[in-house]
Amino acid sequence: MARMKFLCDADRCIECNACVTACKNEHDVPWGINRRRVVTINDGRPGERSVSMACMHCTDAPCAAVCPVDCFFTTADAVVLHSKDLCIGCGYCFYACPFGAPQYPRLGNFGSRGKMDKCTYCSGGPEPDNSAAEYEKYGANRLAQGKLPLCAEMCSTKSLLAGDGEIIASIYKQRVLQRGYGSGAWGWQTAYREGITV
Amino acid sequence: MGDEQRKGIGRRAFLRAVGGMSTVAAAAAAAPGEALAYDPGPEETKASYRETDHVKAFYRVNGYETLKK
Repeated sequence: MARMKFLCDADRCIECNACVTACKNEHDVPWGINRRRVVTINDGRPGERSVSMACMHCTDAPCAAVCPVDCFFTTADAVVLHSKDLCIGCGYCFYACPFGAPQYPRLGNFGSRGKMDKCTYCSGGPEPDNSAAEYEKYGANRLAQGKLPLCAEMCSTKSLLAGDGEIIASIYKQRVLQRGYGSGAWGWQTAYREGITV
Repeated sequence: MGDEQRKGIGRRAFLRAVGGMSTVAAAAAAAPGEALAYDPGPEETKASYRETDHVKAFYRVNGYETLKK
């Protein structure tokens, strides 16, 4: 069974934010929240790196572990989804997520945050595929249409990869093998104690 | 004054009765069983991903410079 994954090739990301814009447009994401963001380190200095971040659809998702109403579930494709009908907007998942993926559309009286919103890997929610109810709550369901997340499909520099984890890992591996050592991938310096050549 | 109070239900008696009823109702609501976690059905967790021509084209385009060689 294919496991859906995102992989951002940090050597290629140019911080154009097209993935962010495409996601917001495709899913009618409300004002004030982004399901995907581009994070830049060493901005304007040598060694600048950008990486596009969203929900990473963790295998053992911390958001699901802390949810008091157990509204998260993982599909057979290994996509982590949640039910907005059950979500109480407590915000625990936001604090638990290492990527800051869960977002809240508004702050109301007594600190109510509304229903949590996050990247669905363009695969909708619990409602029937491509129904109006599903679109209203979770946005488009491209996976059911035989497509991949729009953020990755329209990445102009082919930085953001999405799809079967094994296939995109092989694509990334081949890229690294071809362009040489020191890919600048996240965690490289921590793992190997070596500097990144730019 | 004292006669009027005795005619209807006194304030304290009323509050005691309401308090007792709400306690019984809360106990009845909590008693039937434990909290149930959300259990999505097979339809909600089914695999949506298919390796269509569209998806194959994405893989081909992203790996064109490396996988062909």
